[in-house]
Amino acid sequence: MTENPPLQEFLAEAEAFLASRYPRREAEDRRPFQWGEGSDEVRVFQEPDPDEESEAMPRIRAWRAALWDAGFAWISGPPEYGGRGLPRSYEAAFSSLSRKFDVPGDAALTVSLGMIAPTILRHADERQKQEYLPALFRADLIACQLFSEPDAGSDLASIRTRAVRDGDVWKITGQKVWTSGAHLADVGEIICQSAPGPRHHNLTAFMVDMHAPGVTVRPLRQMTGGASFNEVFLDDVEVADSARLGAEGEGWRVALTTLSYERNAMGHSAFGGAGILSTDRLMQLIRHAGLANDPLVKRRFGELVTELRVARYAQEITAERMRAGQAPGPEIALNKLALSANMARLGEFVVGILGPRAIADTGEWGTYAWTSVVLGAPGYRLGGGSDEVLKNMIAERVLGLPRST
Amino acid sequence: MSAVRTRPDLAISGEHKELRSMVRELMADTSSSATLREVMETEDGFERKTWSTMAQLGLMALLVPERYEGLGQGPVEASIVFEEMGRALYPGPYFASVALATNALLCSGDGAACSDLLPGIAAGSTIATVAMAEAVKPWSSPNTVCTSARRNGDAWILDGSKSFVPHGHVADLLLVTARTDAGLSLFAVEPAEAGVETHALTSLDLTRRLAAVSFVGARARLVGADGGADPVMASTVDRALIALASEQAGGAARCLEMSVEYSKQREQFGRPIGSFQAIAHRCVEMLQRVEFARAASHYAAACQATQVDELPVAARVAAAYCGRAYRWVATENIQVHGGLGFTWEHDAHLHYRRSWASETLLGNAEEHYMAVADRVGLGPPEEVA
Repeated sequence: MTENPPLQEFLAEAEAFLASRYPRREAEDRRPFQWGEGSDEVRVFQEPDPDEESEAMPRIRAWRAALWDAGFAWISGPPEYGGRGLPRSYEAAFSSLSRKFDVPGDAALTVSLGMIAPTILRHADERQKQEYLPALFRADLIACQLFSEPDAGSDLASIRTRAVRDGDVWKITGQKVWTSGAHLADVGEIICQSAPGPRHHNLTAFMVDMHAPGVTVRPLRQMTGGASFNEVFLDDVEVADSARLGAEGEGWRVALTTLSYERNAMGHSAFGGAGILSTDRLMQLIRHAGLANDPLVKRRFGELVTELRVARYAQEITAERMRAGQAPGPEIALNKLALSANMARLGEFVVGILGPRAIADTGEWGTYAWTSVVLGAPGYRLGGGSDEVLKNMIAERVLGLPRST
Repeated sequence: MSAVRTRPDLAISGEHKELRSMVRELMADTSSSATLREVMETEDGFERKTWSTMAQLGLMALLVPERYEGLGQGPVEASIVFEEMGRALYPGPYFASVALATNALLCSGDGAACSDLLPGIAAGSTIATVAMAEAVKPWSSPNTVCTSARRNGDAWILDGSKSFVPHGHVADLLLVTARTDAGLSLFAVEPAEAGVETHALTSLDLTRRLAAVSFVGARARLVGADGGADPVMASTVDRALIALASEQAGGAARCLEMSVEYSKQREQFGRPIGSFQAIAHRCVEMLQRVEFARAASHYAAACQATQVDELPVAARVAAAYCGRAYRWVATENIQVHGGLGFTWEHDAHLHYRRSWASETLLGNAEEHYMAVADRVGLGPPEEVA
């Protein structure tokens, strides 16, 4: 057992690595938000222009590969799978350090690294861990999550996509929907019906090659106007039995793991674009509108900040529990419920401040841009499970209430 | 002066878990519903025997530094104790002595007063409380204090009256705010002295009685600087609000448990009412508030423990959130229980009463929201010691 290097030493090594490859951000970029300067974009969903996105991907992959080679791609991961084996606090320190440099953002890898990789770590066999974990953290492979179907949304366990075994291979046929990032993904975690067995025991999980013959990805246009998710058609797609994740019939358990990491990722305020929940940004908006001395505005702002802060404190406590080695349980969905409620509160507050400048674009900086929060909030509330589905799940699995019928 | 830390230490240690289960057991043994109903009818409103047991376990010494014969534990440990007491609706003067009086003395920075007064509080032999509010309008603002103090040789003489004093009717020591020529000041007064009269008020919260105190030429000791009490009381109130938030989180957690237990066992239309989404979802909304109230109070206590710069915001965020959360959960708990929840015999109303009283005791959510807005920087900066 080797001792961890002191944090200072680790950070010095990290800084040398970052400085050798990436320019430092200009002091201006790191300056706190200033009204009227730079981009006024606020987003709930990452919906980049498709051309810009495909241009950005090689840069993101190169960044992850460089991180991997230098030992910074998976700082808290187990060394046997290429991780550095250091405490999560080192990972957090590295990520705040890296923000001082002009490095590509990791938003396109949230599903890969935040949801699929932890599922593999929990459920995959040794060989699969060796195969996928380094590749995901290097971004040699980008993963998506193929769960929902046109007839299996809230009732996810009634998945109809079939996997039929034929010797050492499985043939998968069906349709998936609402798949974020499928158009960028190399591999997908898919849940299929594999046997006619009893509910929750008839599903099996696989890692399917998104470039395999028979896989078709079509973008879906969202009510915001952007397109970050897709429908995926699978027509007799061959998957080797060695790509099965967990035992036959155990797919539901695998799916639950991914879903709990998804709710954790979605409950995280960093998710959904920086700055939306920034107190400072809101205060500048209030001042710009000349309402800083309005007691009604002040009281409503105080209430909004209270709700946002409590949600953040709860997240930090969750993160602390995870650092201490606790896996996220079903209670993690509370953070997601809170964040989607806060997104709605935020929209209401901001539109109240903006007035008509929120319903027509006057060209004034920092005003109409907020409509993307208003338009994105309903989707955020649905993503990872509607409020009602999450409440059913929490009632059963956290409170132990009888199943609702 | 230690450097400002930006993140609180949120780790829960084995000792924290032991402390929690120790207090929970003690509360289960001594503050069952039956006992609670007996003692709340008595004149004191609490049991001296339990108070001595708590003293022996060192609970009153928790926040007192070792140099004043205390245990030198921090706000995180205290918040665990307050949460457990909130669950059990502990009716004794723990909040008064520890959250209010101990913090007021510590915040005063008066070493001599701390040396003289804290050891008794830590040992449980002195029951202390803070008398701030007065029955004037607006009662919550320290600017409206009418009680006055004048110097008389080495001593001070107090005249005026205070109200809404938690456990004032059983206190051996009162820390009283009064106005001198120099401004708002803090005084220590023994109610046993001539010129002090205390009586318990009929209180909405049957498990924490408030008292009125009047002073007619009462002898008092100045605590801290003459005219220096404004920042002292501001930080005392912040600290007490964090303790109160922990109590509220504990009380809310108990109400949720009552609702969940009942909705598993109560059957209507041939099935447990907890299988109806209307009830199940209501219970989840209660859980949401309970978990977030626990998070907010724990976070604020952790900020206080290491003097994180988020502390002034976190204190009022916790106060605003936990106060409303407890009242909402206590309100819904009655509804989940139906007619049974409206009976005198059911404990639901004891929590309901406590939740209203606690939410109002040191300022309500409206005031906290304004303070949060000020403290994140929307308004002018507030003075906090």
